[in-house]
Amino acid sequence: MRGGGAARVIPLAAAGAAAAAGVLILVVAADAPSRARERATRAEARAAASLYELPGVTEADVLSLLDGRARIVAPEAGGSGPGAHAYRAGALEPDAWIAVEPQGGGSRWPWAASALALLGALCMAGWAAGRRRSPPPPRYPAAPALLCAALFALVAITAQHWSRGELEAISASRVGLGLRVAEIAGASGADPEAAARAAGLPWASGAALDEPDRIWTMPREVGEAIAAGPGLRSAPRYTVVAAGATYHGGTVALDRGPGVRAQTADDTVHLVFLGYEETTSPAVALIASALGSALIVSLVLFLLPLAARPRALSGTLAAWGFLTPAAALLLLFTFGPLLFSLWISLHDWRLVDPAHPFLGLANYRALLSDGAWWSAVRNTGVFTLHVPLAMAVALSLALLTRESRRAVRWARLALFLPSITSVVAIAVVWKWLLNDGYGLANRALGAMGLGPVAWLSSPDIALVSLMVIGVWMVVGYQMVVFQAGLAAIPRVWYDAARVDGAGPWQRFRHITLPGLRHTLFFVLVTSVIGSFQVFGLVYVMTEGGPLGATDVAVYHIYREAWEFLRFGNAAAMSWVLFGVVFAATWLHFRFLERRSAHA
Amino acid sequence: MTREPRAVVLKRVRKRFRDVTAVADVDLEVHPGELMVLVGPSGCGKSTLLRLIAGLDEPDAGEVWIGDRCVDEVAPGGRDVAMVFQSYALYPHMTVAENLGFGLRVRGAGPAATEARVNEVAGVLGLRGLLSRRPGQLSGGQQQRVALGRAMVRDPGVFLFDEPLSNLDAALRLETRDEIAALHRRLGTTMIFVTHDQVEALSLGQRVAVMDQGRVHQVGTPHEVYRRPANLFVAGFVGSPPMNRLRLVRDREGRLAGGPFVFPGGSPHREATLGVRPEDLTLAVVAPPDPDPNPEFTATALRVESLGSEQRIRLDGPGEAAWVARAPSALHVTAGDRVAVSVAWERTHLFGADGGRIGAAPRPVRGSRP
Repeated sequence: MRGGGAARVIPLAAAGAAAAAGVLILVVAADAPSRARERATRAEARAAASLYELPGVTEADVLSLLDGRARIVAPEAGGSGPGAHAYRAGALEPDAWIAVEPQGGGSRWPWAASALALLGALCMAGWAAGRRRSPPPPRYPAAPALLCAALFALVAITAQHWSRGELEAISASRVGLGLRVAEIAGASGADPEAAARAAGLPWASGAALDEPDRIWTMPREVGEAIAAGPGLRSAPRYTVVAAGATYHGGTVALDRGPGVRAQTADDTVHLVFLGYEETTSPAVALIASALGSALIVSLVLFLLPLAARPRALSGTLAAWGFLTPAAALLLLFTFGPLLFSLWISLHDWRLVDPAHPFLGLANYRALLSDGAWWSAVRNTGVFTLHVPLAMAVALSLALLTRESRRAVRWARLALFLPSITSVVAIAVVWKWLLNDGYGLANRALGAMGLGPVAWLSSPDIALVSLMVIGVWMVVGYQMVVFQAGLAAIPRVWYDAARVDGAGPWQRFRHITLPGLRHTLFFVLVTSVIGSFQVFGLVYVMTEGGPLGATDVAVYHIYREAWEFLRFGNAAAMSWVLFGVVFAATWLHFRFLERRSAHA
Repeated sequence: MTREPRAVVLKRVRKRFRDVTAVADVDLEVHPGELMVLVGPSGCGKSTLLRLIAGLDEPDAGEVWIGDRCVDEVAPGGRDVAMVFQSYALYPHMTVAENLGFGLRVRGAGPAATEARVNEVAGVLGLRGLLSRRPGQLSGGQQQRVALGRAMVRDPGVFLFDEPLSNLDAALRLETRDEIAALHRRLGTTMIFVTHDQVEALSLGQRVAVMDQGRVHQVGTPHEVYRRPANLFVAGFVGSPPMNRLRLVRDREGRLAGGPFVFPGGSPHREATLGVRPEDLTLAVVAPPDPDPNPEFTATALRVESLGSEQRIRLDGPGEAAWVARAPSALHVTAGDRVAVSVAWERTHLFGADGGRIGAAPRPVRGSRP
């Protein structure tokens, strides 16, 4: 029976979707420790190599450091042993490679969470199969949804817990290694700074700890937390939680140079270790799993009533099959990056810093008092004023060229050309035309005996120049849209108005404008959105200058991200801009809906 | 609020669009207070003529007079005319009240005066309850009334109607036709009404102008146009089913002959056309033992269409072309029957070679088939 085959898909789909969601949660959970482990092994090799380079350190010291996981390899052998991470000792004159096997120990896969996920998938399948036998729609669709969500939350928490334990173990082992390296280095007569460098750890010594600013690459809050920490000067190991991450530290007492024993607190070198980054907060995992499970349950609930109608079911499944590639592309390349940028905007995300502490809305709060950003917003607003001007010009041109004659058609083509020309080409040409010295505009003025105008180099004029070019660029397109709008107004309305005694202005006011109002609104909204997003003109012509006079929002975001590498801030700005554009578009659609309701 | 009705006079008016002559040297006089119908097939120039009167198009030659002045240099709004369009041309973004008052507002009437006049007209047309609606929310008949009201509000000297009924369904069309006739009786204003429907033209018009290819072929009362068509075109266009025709040629003895007919007396015409309306034929079924004593001719019924009150019978004669006869429904004829046909000769028409009417045909000397 065909229907049976199609209907059997439902429990399978449910189980598959549940399993996929479970696997996704587990893979995300397992990913962080595995990457941390990899980084740790590389750091071990680097530390061992640094130690090996120090005078007075023996091979035995190095080998004992890593409990036999390290080997010293001849230079010819290279550093590519199977399963080993290698680091070259002596960057200038390599005389050996240190190969380190990855650390074992711990569990490499969250088995407990996996078992839970499997159980969940089986439950889903069983439930869906049961529902299939009794087709009436479920009376309490929320109950299985809640159950499913709870199960996934449990899986997420278990996996999260496991992942946290793994990361902590790795961090602890790295701190232990760092401390041992420093001790060995100190014992073989290295000075404290060299020892700390060999350990590959951020460090501070003695009194410097009281000045958090001097602590190497630490975010300020972390330095302050370490300095204020209770066991700082006495405890050999300590942990500090600050700025959304956990930092592990250790203290090691070293001699201050040959023959001077560590006597006072100032002789103590403090090693501060940047521990694991807590990028996956449990709340996020919980929300994600809840969303995922809700999705799965609604999918099953949607499919279940179709089980009784196999043709509809197979049709639906086929439709979804066809939709999948497009949906996947959309998810991957549109919604994915969108959500990722939202994620970034909530963090202190800099390209040069591997740590991305969670900041919440701090980036957005910072925008409120960011004068340069508001100046860019204001410039964008001023630039947008070119839209009504362009619309007035375009509408006049459309009215003038309403009767389509040959010459008029050529004029129309000429006016439309800028709309289909590359912005960069236009910007380069205009930049040349408006050049202070040799630009055509100033030469023409000069020929008429007028002084040169600093079109693009005066802060007072540059933005106006860009607006004029903006008008020139959009007028042709707007004119064509207006012409289409005018053509859609029935002639007979004008006839009726003429018989009614309306003059040209009254016909424009009472027939043309109302007849064009949807077109006007469409052009206004799309042009304003386009104007909010202006970038190419500014990028090529003024680079935001002079004195930031033409620094518009998108260009500001671009600089924030790709010149100052502050992605968190840039993402927050992008989302503010997105909010504005979205609001404009939403209004547009609301208006269109009202219009279709009227028609 | 009665006004002196105005005459509309066209003097040798001509209008061409590129290669097409839409209106060719038309002379037309519409008397004050008259309801004149311009009728003709599609593309005959009747709507162009109306637009020339309204001033929406300008004539290439000739003059348009409304009342006692030539309005060639006057804009449409100044001609004291109002027009009702086929598509009604209501302004969709205005309410019914705003549509009605638009003509007054753009002429600078105050809001109070406008409202009073709009209410008055809305009351006459039964539009009071619809004043705040928009045209999109009205039925076709209601839109038609609003279009009528918009013309009435300004109390113009001349009303122009451009096929205002063709977008209505059949029942509504009859009703509205009567209303326009009643409106004309009440207002007594000059009205010019354009239609392609000859039934509408005959039933509505005090006088009818029949147009074709930019020319006015005949102007007259419906009775004149129907009973004494000026030429073959009018004869063929007015009346349904159309007039039956038979081509006549002058024989060696100088008499016109065609089909079974030979007409007495010498004729100056070499060729002519005999026209007989379907209702001027009388049929009788030929029963073999008792043939009709005096039939004009006999023919075979090809097809019988019953319309309830009467029937239309298609005959295979008298000439090459088939004729149609109207007969009372009591007559028993079926397709294939032989019928004897008598003609009411005093109501027939004879048209010359140029199509012009010569007069009624005389009774032929020889009536039956040889």
